[in-house]
Amino acid sequence: MTNSSKRKEEIHLVNGGVKQSTWSKAFNSNAVWEEKDEFLDVIYWIRQIIAVILGVIWGVAPLKGFLGIAIFCIINAGVLYVYFSSFQQIDEEEYGGTWELTKEGFMTSFALFLVVWIIFYTALHYD
Amino acid sequence: MSTMFADTILIVFISVCTALLAEGITWVLVYRTEKYKRLKAEVEKQSKKLEKKKETITESAGRQQKKKIERQEEKLKNNNRDLSMVRMKSMFAIGFCFTALMGMFNSIFDGRVVAKLPFVPLSYIQGLSHRNLLGEDYTDCSFIFLYILCTMSIRQNIQKMLGLAPSRAATKQAGVASISPGSD
Repeated sequence: MTNSSKRKEEIHLVNGGVKQSTWSKAFNSNAVWEEKDEFLDVIYWIRQIIAVILGVIWGVAPLKGFLGIAIFCIINAGVLYVYFSSFQQIDEEEYGGTWELTKEGFMTSFALFLVVWIIFYTALHYD
Repeated sequence: MSTMFADTILIVFISVCTALLAEGITWVLVYRTEKYKRLKAEVEKQSKKLEKKKETITESAGRQQKKKIERQEEKLKNNNRDLSMVRMKSMFAIGFCFTALMGMFNSIFDGRVVAKLPFVPLSYIQGLSHRNLLGEDYTDCSFIFLYILCTMSIRQNIQKMLGLAPSRAATKQAGVASISPGSD
């Protein structure tokens, strides 16, 4: 068992992924995710970060109307899709398919996006 | 700082406080009890085991295998029900507190435009977003709409950050158990 875990560590080093913290793995392409929940948590938190960033940009610009909401949905889904299929190259079937990965944390991130967008829009464009 | 923006920030702050209050009440009444910890660990262990078994089972699996899975599902359903019963105590306490709090906040913010929406909500949402507000400008935001959005975003993130959210396997199995026929 010690040998196989040592080999795992060596494989990780060869691939460039370092088996340390979750976030180090998240920023390394082709990282090995033993725990499905760990990767899904990364997807969840990246979604929340994208929601905050887009909410700030949309509120400052300002970008208004359903166009803003539609573009948010496309960017949110698109960026994560590129992340898990190209950057991490994970097998979607292991996680229940692309839809399960797309759904992960989406509603919470949408609510967060709306809150941040509303705050910045109200602060900067209504005196 | 304009009054409207001050209201916006205040509502976000209220939402954070109420989310922490809800988790605090739940921690005192539920999370720290031995019974809850034991049940939660049991449910998570069983959910993961069941999920793995379901992934490896094939169409040609024997009746014995399928019966074993059914027995495990039944056991998990019972544990999930026990877990829900344990949480019910805190749900009543939170429900009671929040009814009183919401009544108070609704009367404080009644008729006040607390934020400006950068979009016009769909007509069936306007009943919520424009609640108790005068005029026909549907980009005016009422307290309850902003509060609900804040709670939706903040509460789950707080639960996840504090490690209090149930595992995905447990949530999935609880969902399957609640809609399976013959329950209740």
